[in-house]
Amino acid sequence: MNKYLIHIIEDDLSVKKLLEITFKEYEFDYISSESKKNALLMFLSHNPDLLIVDLGLSDGDGKDLIKQIREISKLPIIVLTARHDEKEIVAALDAGADDYITKPFSVNELLARIRANLRRKINNINGEMTSKFICNELELDITSRDVFLRSEKLKLTPIEYELLKYFMLHTNKTLTHKQILQEVWGTGYQNEMQYLRTYVNTLRKKIEENSTRPKYIKTESGIGYRFSYNQES
Amino acid sequence: MKNLLIKYKQYSYILKALGMLLIITLISYIFRGSLAIINITLIHIIPVIVVAIHGNVKATLFMTLLSVVFLNFLYIPPLYSFSVHNELYVWSFFIFGIVGWIITIQAKNLNSQTKQNEIRESLLHIISHDLRTPLSTIHGSINLILSNDNLDEKSKYNLYEDINYASHRMKRLITNILDSTRLSSGKIDLKLEWCDFEDIVGVALNEFSQIQSEEKLDLKIDELSLFWGDNTLLTQLIVNLFDNAFKYSKADTKIYFEIINLNNFIRIKIFNETEYIDKKKLKNIFDKFYRFEDTNDISGSGIGLAICQSIVKLHNGEIKAISQNEGILIQIELPMVKRAKLL
Repeated sequence: MNKYLIHIIEDDLSVKKLLEITFKEYEFDYISSESKKNALLMFLSHNPDLLIVDLGLSDGDGKDLIKQIREISKLPIIVLTARHDEKEIVAALDAGADDYITKPFSVNELLARIRANLRRKINNINGEMTSKFICNELELDITSRDVFLRSEKLKLTPIEYELLKYFMLHTNKTLTHKQILQEVWGTGYQNEMQYLRTYVNTLRKKIEENSTRPKYIKTESGIGYRFSYNQES
Repeated sequence: MKNLLIKYKQYSYILKALGMLLIITLISYIFRGSLAIINITLIHIIPVIVVAIHGNVKATLFMTLLSVVFLNFLYIPPLYSFSVHNELYVWSFFIFGIVGWIITIQAKNLNSQTKQNEIRESLLHIISHDLRTPLSTIHGSINLILSNDNLDEKSKYNLYEDINYASHRMKRLITNILDSTRLSSGKIDLKLEWCDFEDIVGVALNEFSQIQSEEKLDLKIDELSLFWGDNTLLTQLIVNLFDNAFKYSKADTKIYFEIINLNNFIRIKIFNETEYIDKKKLKNIFDKFYRFEDTNDISGSGIGLAICQSIVKLHNGEIKAISQNEGILIQIELPMVKRAKLL
């Protein structure tokens, strides 16, 4: 199997070193850039499989870089940020990043995020024509609009179904409140948080074993939700 | 009754000043022949100063008024009446007020300075002690790993676990210190939005190990407790409540946590069994950097509950600690200012 190529864009040398050691150890190929300018050149010449971008680059905002790259590629982008500044993270996600991780981060978590995002990339390529989506014990059929949990049919309201469908089509991706409201409820509903809170709550009660310790719909506090799909288990 | 006693202690200086004023008036009255009016006036300013050094504007004003009334009634012609013939005396009364006011302002400044010093000292204490403890764990463990090539995998793993736990503690402590300075400076903008308490509790639980939370915690949350508040701060509130309960609860006992939706407010209750707590000390439990003297071995800074109080106050709510059934119950009530309109 070919090794994945990860492009690290990070100007903090100690963090860069930590990432490089990690990737060497876990058999990923990597290239690194320390500036925005260099990053774009390296990206175009190497065509990496996944991007890790530090938001606070010395020669400019990482968000602009994300926007530029989004225009030409669909590859997974994971944002790395020192500050747990929710506004910045939400802005980066809305600009096109798929996921984020805050410093100090655990290497295990970063690897889990990288694997999950690489996997989604493959799913997108292979699964475009299927109508059935399966995530662990959940099964969603787009043509018949049926949802099964451990092969048992669930009774969902139309909105609950749309919400679950959106989540299941975007597994392991951090979705901002705004993105979810806009996609599921439609334009003009971006700020109607009470709908989102309510329907996530009722949906969790139907699909999660324990709705306070959810396994599928994870909360990213102040940012949004991510639908966790653990393929190993 | 107890409250009255505390109030009395807090304001006893006013009573003392009043007594002083009476004695001064009495002495002045007896010797009014030999003391000139100017001396009598000067003596009457003493109780005003005594009250003013406590930095309470209202008390100072009250004392000034009283002194002036006594002075006017007993010594200033026409005697035994409240009218003033010579308008120069009106100026004297005015000066009374100014003296009292200046001293009050100065005293206030001084008070806030001492308070700031106290906070600074406690911060130093946290940094020197509470941050040092996990840091020395990290330092020691890493040194051991680096200098010892033939450590077996299991002890290595244990050391890594220690480092992991210690760094987690440091992270939480730093967040708390930053939050507390942010919250106490009063310059905080609440980011109000619709919050789901069940969601918040779930996020808060992620901060703790699964074993800790699943075995010890007994959770009860009312259906759909949507609340208009600051999501991040409310999460911090619940994290600190859990953290506190985990730290101070007796081994092998349960922690009971409940969120009750009472339509116009949300009630949060958390109960854990603990060693005996002096009821008098319970009042101080929300003070910044307060910690029971006998719990020095448990790492923590006493900053957690102070932050809880600040967050509750920012949401116009109430927090109290009640000693109950060999344990401590912390109860919070948050008023609902807005109701969610649903489809």
